[in-house]
Amino acid sequence: MIEKWKALLKRPLIWLFALFILGFTLWDLLLPPREFSDMENRMLQQKPALTLKSLMAGGEQAYSRKYEKYINDQFVLRDGWISLKSRAESLLAKIENNNVAYGRDGYLFEKVFSVDEENLASNIQYMEEFLDKYPDLPVTFSIIPNAYAILTDKTPPGFSAVSVDQNQRIEELYDHMRAADPDLKLLPLSQILSAHREEALYYRTDHHWTTYGAYLAYGEYVRSLGMEPVDYQSLERHEVKDFYGTFDAKAKRAGTQPDTIVWYDIPCRVEVNQEPVESLNDLSRFEVRDKYSGLMHGNKALTVLHSQCNQYRREGNISRVLVVKDSYGNSFAPYLCYNFDEVYVVDLRYLGKFSAVLTDMDLSFDDVLILYNFMNFVTDTNIPKLRY
Amino acid sequence: MVFSSILFLFRFFPAAMLIYFISPKKWKNGVIFLLSLFFYSWGEPKYFPIMIASVLVDYFVSLGIDRYWRNKTICRWLLACSMVFNLGMLGFFKYTGFFVENINALLGLSLRAPRVTLPIGISFYTFQTMSYSIDVYRGKVKAERNIIDFAAFVTLFPQLIAGPIVRYSDISRELKDRSVDLDQISEGISTFIMGLGKKVLIANNIGALWTEVSETLGFSRISTPLAWMGVAAFTLQIYFDFSGYSQMAIGLGKMMGFTFPQNFDFPYVSKSFTEFWRRWHMTLGSWFREYLYFPLGGSRVDSPMRLYFNLFVVWFCTGFWHGASWNFILWGLFFLVFLILEKSFLLPHLNRGKVWPHVYVLFFLLVSWAIFAVTDLSQLGALLQRMFSPAAGMDWMYYLRNYAVTFVVAILFSTPLPWRLYSRVKDNAAVSLACMGAVLAASVAYLVDASYNPFLYFRF
Repeated sequence: MIEKWKALLKRPLIWLFALFILGFTLWDLLLPPREFSDMENRMLQQKPALTLKSLMAGGEQAYSRKYEKYINDQFVLRDGWISLKSRAESLLAKIENNNVAYGRDGYLFEKVFSVDEENLASNIQYMEEFLDKYPDLPVTFSIIPNAYAILTDKTPPGFSAVSVDQNQRIEELYDHMRAADPDLKLLPLSQILSAHREEALYYRTDHHWTTYGAYLAYGEYVRSLGMEPVDYQSLERHEVKDFYGTFDAKAKRAGTQPDTIVWYDIPCRVEVNQEPVESLNDLSRFEVRDKYSGLMHGNKALTVLHSQCNQYRREGNISRVLVVKDSYGNSFAPYLCYNFDEVYVVDLRYLGKFSAVLTDMDLSFDDVLILYNFMNFVTDTNIPKLRY
Repeated sequence: MVFSSILFLFRFFPAAMLIYFISPKKWKNGVIFLLSLFFYSWGEPKYFPIMIASVLVDYFVSLGIDRYWRNKTICRWLLACSMVFNLGMLGFFKYTGFFVENINALLGLSLRAPRVTLPIGISFYTFQTMSYSIDVYRGKVKAERNIIDFAAFVTLFPQLIAGPIVRYSDISRELKDRSVDLDQISEGISTFIMGLGKKVLIANNIGALWTEVSETLGFSRISTPLAWMGVAAFTLQIYFDFSGYSQMAIGLGKMMGFTFPQNFDFPYVSKSFTEFWRRWHMTLGSWFREYLYFPLGGSRVDSPMRLYFNLFVVWFCTGFWHGASWNFILWGLFFLVFLILEKSFLLPHLNRGKVWPHVYVLFFLLVSWAIFAVTDLSQLGALLQRMFSPAAGMDWMYYLRNYAVTFVVAILFSTPLPWRLYSRVKDNAAVSLACMGAVLAASVAYLVDASYNPFLYFRF
């Protein structure tokens, strides 16, 4: 017996391999499952229930599929393995990981290969039906390009050749909408953003624009309505450091410099889904990984900002604007308090029927702004709600 | 289940090995059978009965042949049973859709093809069991009387789903009596780790480029340089994917005391296609030689026409075996052309040449993999058009920067050079441990953060 152990010791590959496999297996078995991965910013797969139905199901619903995903998601030291992979990718001199490309100056860009043409066409159709339904409503439509379309000097060489040309696509979209409804006001943003491309318009590690990028768009918007934006320098500035965004969660590149979220105290009274809340932003969310969701309390069906700082206030008149938006709008809408008495902000993804806000509340709006990021507008499936 | 997954490495594998090693010797084959059934049924429990039927049919056919050995008519009928069953299963599950589609196109009908998913590994295990019955019929092996031992051979999980195609005669002795010593286990482990690295670190990495070019971008959008880069990526992917998987199988077999045949021998350094097919998927090539080419008469025939006919049948079948669509048949016949050219005059020149034979092989090999990779013929046309009629564009710059190092690594490891270097230093325990540890850890990391982990030979 002792001889056998001695022989085994002479072959370290065997016992080191056994130790590696068995050690990680046991450790993994003993570890309680995690709900959420902060590093990847997503929910992790939990142990699937074993039923006859799930056992016989096919595709993504199959028990075996889910179980494999569960084992992968819950594997011991998952975050460490992910970092190891990202280091190995750097060793191979890769300039991307999980479809996110490493640009200059620490910028990350997600590759966008194609546009879901079918969904885009339906969304345009829904927009037109909405405009037909409310012929007298003043509407402005604006599409926000993704960072790579603006920060062309930061993208890796050849990146623009493999990605969708958003500036051109937005131009085409505007041309189409202009022809469909001459009354619709269109607000191009590419030019103003490109003119300021040296400044921090987008986060380096996240897909959103910064509050400064949003400020520039806000300026364009209120000017198009014959007003002036608030002076940027006069705003009371706050910073949230160590923001690692969604691109970082995918790329997980070693040595990524975090972003800083800049936010402003804009005097207003806030209701989220008709409940009053303490402040404009949810400060507690600034402590967690997904810091962007602190801005305007994240995406909510209906947020109303009652301005206390409207520069254009007229006694006896309540001016009102309605913003239909995706998460990009959360950086944008608060500035409107300097130009309107009431700012209604709607996120169609969480709202049942648009008419619940637009007509049922019996309010009159000076303007309705439909503001979407290009990729969100292309992929969103809630645009049809505009018509109801 | 595939070997290159966290589930296999940290659940099935340790459990299977523990159960296998603590079971007493006389139960080991039974344990292999049960473990293999679980391994096979994972993900596709409904095909469990097919596996059992496969075992039963060839077991009883061969017993019958053994029993009525003197009556050739009965033997022939029994063998026919096995052939009809095996080829019938393959035909039904793999080719029904193809035949229905072509009959529809030909006769203008619209028959509905039954929607069947391909049972995993069916192309491999039907060939294995068929070769067993044929060998028994030919008197080359004795029929297996112990049904558990036979079931263990058919289902043997290391080689069940993607080869190597292990014939009964390869392992019949080890089935009855095998011993495994520590050196074998150690060798099995390093073989397995190297195979894992080939699959996870090289094939998946370079394969991502091909997927992006073919699926995400689409052939109509890419430039000519990118089209060639994509095809080169697929060429490397399919080699490392398949040879890595075979190597994992061989390593696992070795840990359990089985010696499986080699399946790949650096095919991409070949100087002719004749040589290439001696180095690529060797167990399939020898299967077709043994059970199709030789029975047809092989090359010992009177007229050259008969020889070409034999070659045509073999390469048509080789192509068709790889998949139920025309591009695979085209792919097989593509090789036929070069093999006939080489047989008739080219081979001696190729053997004498130094550089140009490699250029010749690699160039046409890339074209052959393009044909293999794209099952839709109009898409294939689009790809070939991109490859051969120049289209400008800057897209390749991005991919060249991203994949340059990966290409170099993959090309290097497809030659014997780095392996020779390794065999020189592997006796140094520290160096070999460091290499193995690094490959294993990196593979696990890539599997945990797997955005892309297909297995090409899974659909065969």
